[in-house]
Amino acid sequence: MANPRPTTLWLGRLGVAALALVLIIARLLPLDTLPPRWAGPDLLLAVVLLWTLRRPRLLPVWLVAGIVLLADFLFQRPPGLVAALTVIATEMLRRRHQRLRAGGFATEWIAAGLAVVGILASAQLVMLIAVIPTPPASLVASQALATALAYPIIAFVARWLFGVARNPTDTRRRISA
Amino acid sequence: MARPRNSGEEFARPIRRLLVGLLLLALIALFALWRIDSPRVERMRAEVTDRVLPSFDWALVPVTGLVTMASNFQSYAHLHEQNQQLRRELQQMRAWREAALQLEQENAKLLDLNNVRLDPRLTYITGVVMADSGSPFRQSVLLNVGARDGVLDGWPAMDGIGLVGRISGVGRATSRILLLTDTSSRIPVTIQPSGQRAILAGDNTVYPPIDFLENPDLVRPGDRVVSSGDGGMFPADLLVGQVTMGADGRLRIRLAADYERLEFLRVLRSHQAETLDENGRLIVPEPREVFGPPAPAPESLTLVDETPEPGAETPDG
Repeated sequence: MANPRPTTLWLGRLGVAALALVLIIARLLPLDTLPPRWAGPDLLLAVVLLWTLRRPRLLPVWLVAGIVLLADFLFQRPPGLVAALTVIATEMLRRRHQRLRAGGFATEWIAAGLAVVGILASAQLVMLIAVIPTPPASLVASQALATALAYPIIAFVARWLFGVARNPTDTRRRISA
Repeated sequence: MARPRNSGEEFARPIRRLLVGLLLLALIALFALWRIDSPRVERMRAEVTDRVLPSFDWALVPVTGLVTMASNFQSYAHLHEQNQQLRRELQQMRAWREAALQLEQENAKLLDLNNVRLDPRLTYITGVVMADSGSPFRQSVLLNVGARDGVLDGWPAMDGIGLVGRISGVGRATSRILLLTDTSSRIPVTIQPSGQRAILAGDNTVYPPIDFLENPDLVRPGDRVVSSGDGGMFPADLLVGQVTMGADGRLRIRLAADYERLEFLRVLRSHQAETLDENGRLIVPEPREVFGPPAPAPESLTLVDETPEPGAETPDG
């Protein structure tokens, strides 16, 4: 396994953590205090999935858990629930990311979309089972849809802003081949 | 955390799986703990919020300011139009102001005549909105006053005009206000002028519906809605809004507070309402002095016992 220098690796992780923090803070800005008609995309979730699929080493599992747990705490969600589901989903993607990478962008998009739907739907299901008041199903569905639709845009932005390409000539591939 | 590195892939993998499993277990345990003992975890949440958010105050305030400025800048386009409209409104407002001044004088006079005592303990603390809930499913805002300012759970919060919500969760320097529009917000209200009691139940829409209304026929769109003070949770007579008829035919409330711009909120120091905790006692006349020669001791006791029987209020001597 090709080893990037530790400083580069840790700088990359720091960058991902900073990006996640910026996204969390941006969502907390008190700009719109009216209840919305439909929910926008969950950018944080999309970014976590994108980095898991494209740069899994920059987003180790403990960082995923930490980021999403912090978001759980700050966004008034049941603490730990979405974090646990996200860790499960990212682990599944992580195990398959080499095959997914070989499949082209459509495969990646479908995988991310399925992950989003899986996380949000199972969170809703667990909340129903645990008799916790659940958010309206229409809002959750619109959020899942918006997040899945926003994924290519986020991928594009990540490609041009941070240089996170799909990168078929990753060093990992040579090892696995 | 052990990560597979150069060598020992077959050795590091099970360890990694184990650690991921442990991590998952910890997260699920946290969720279960929250479900079982929610107050303790909520206190932890308040602590986390208290620790994290004030350190980003430097970022939150200017960015919010900038975005507000940008949206204000867009409105420069129709500045002239707006100016005309404001002039017209100002003209109307002058008339209203005159009327209000007269009413205020009259009101003061009447209050004075009636010797009404307003609650002198109803003071308030004003705070700035730092952040909102960050989720489309929860309606709450974070205020920059907290336990160090003496804020307690359950106190009502208003903007200048109407009720906005109540404190739910207090940190050292921050406190969370559950807005009336949140799905878990329930407020006892009175609808004026019919004086009917009802519950304002938030449902994540801009116009929350009215629940448990006894007689909807007595309520008309446009009626004023104020807090009723039932259950000792809120001070009575805080303005909430007006009744409207929703598109679905339900009675809903148009909130008086400006939810579009929640910026400064005042938290009312609401003191625990005094409750009457004993039943009314039976009013019996004092044992009267017995005229005439004093009776022997055992008989005087029976005499006292018998006196209330014919009717406690009889004024005969």
